[in-house]
Amino acid sequence: MAAEKVFEKVVEILKPYAKDQDALAKVSLDTNILSGLKVNSARLVDVVLAFEDAFGIEVADEDADRVQTVGDAVRLIEGKLA
Amino acid sequence: MATSATGAGLAPQTTALLPEGEDADGRSRRVRALALQRAIGWLAAPVCVPLATLAMRFGFRWKIRNTAESRALYARLLREDPRPLLVAANHLTMVDSALIAWALGSTVDHVLRYRGLPWNVPVQSRVESSWLWRVLAYLMKCLPIPRGGDRRLVAQVLERLGHLLRSGEVVLMFPEGGRSRSGRIDAESIGQGVGRVIKELGNCRVLCVYMRGDAQRSWSNLPAKGDTFTLAVRLVEPRSELRGVRGSREVAAQVLGHLVEMESEYLAARP
Repeated sequence: MAAEKVFEKVVEILKPYAKDQDALAKVSLDTNILSGLKVNSARLVDVVLAFEDAFGIEVADEDADRVQTVGDAVRLIEGKLA
Repeated sequence: MATSATGAGLAPQTTALLPEGEDADGRSRRVRALALQRAIGWLAAPVCVPLATLAMRFGFRWKIRNTAESRALYARLLREDPRPLLVAANHLTMVDSALIAWALGSTVDHVLRYRGLPWNVPVQSRVESSWLWRVLAYLMKCLPIPRGGDRRLVAQVLERLGHLLRSGEVVLMFPEGGRSRSGRIDAESIGQGVGRVIKELGNCRVLCVYMRGDAQRSWSNLPAKGDTFTLAVRLVEPRSELRGVRGSREVAAQVLGHLVEMESEYLAARP
């Protein structure tokens, strides 16, 4: 799957969790999921589980720890899909 | 025979909870820091533990029903089984960890059997809000945990908790991750930290504790003065065949499910 497609799907998944919809409208690979989009840290697990379901991948706890930005999520998913 | 855990016994170990990229020096430093904190806390315990108990018993006039039963059970769990023991509880006030420690052991118990005084994980921002909090947290077996920050820092705290549990120490965690804003256990507000620690250990026992004061209708900073608490305990061994984040979540959900059941039983019996 192309990186752009993964990015679009990741943003779509983040939409219901992002409290800052303005930041979501300007989202980029560098946007921090917690501080930028104001996703509740407790909900980050739900986001990761949604990634697993949407892309058919399995994410280890240690991999999830490294997801800080949207770009981190895209790279993680791309790595799992490769 | 129960595993003893002296400060010297907290030796460095490799753990699956560690985030990748962590160097051995960093791990060793954190383990040595834990051993030092435990040793200083142990030295301070003959002063700190009685003072905390006096403040709860006579300052706030709190009471807990049937402590003899819960303390006997807790002592037996520590004595008879060397597997890790984690305490998971509901969370309504900022002093829940102190109240639960009091319910599970007397002052004498905690001073003489220091490993039975549970470690707990207050929010880092709260601990860092004053020097008094910092000192008390350090002396009273607290490992502050960042909320809403870098998950790698959270993972480091979870790694230390896993290490403590393997070393025979007891850790108290709140599966909801924060105080129940509705006054009831919020099954939606489930973190995966507690599940991750249990899953990584593999053989961890979990003592679910539901504690609530007669006057507690919702969350607060402190329980009402003179309140009397009812305590329910249930020993469980949650497991999951699932891996990764999903497995951690499932284990955490099992623990929270037990607490929800215990809350229902408590509320059904409440006058």
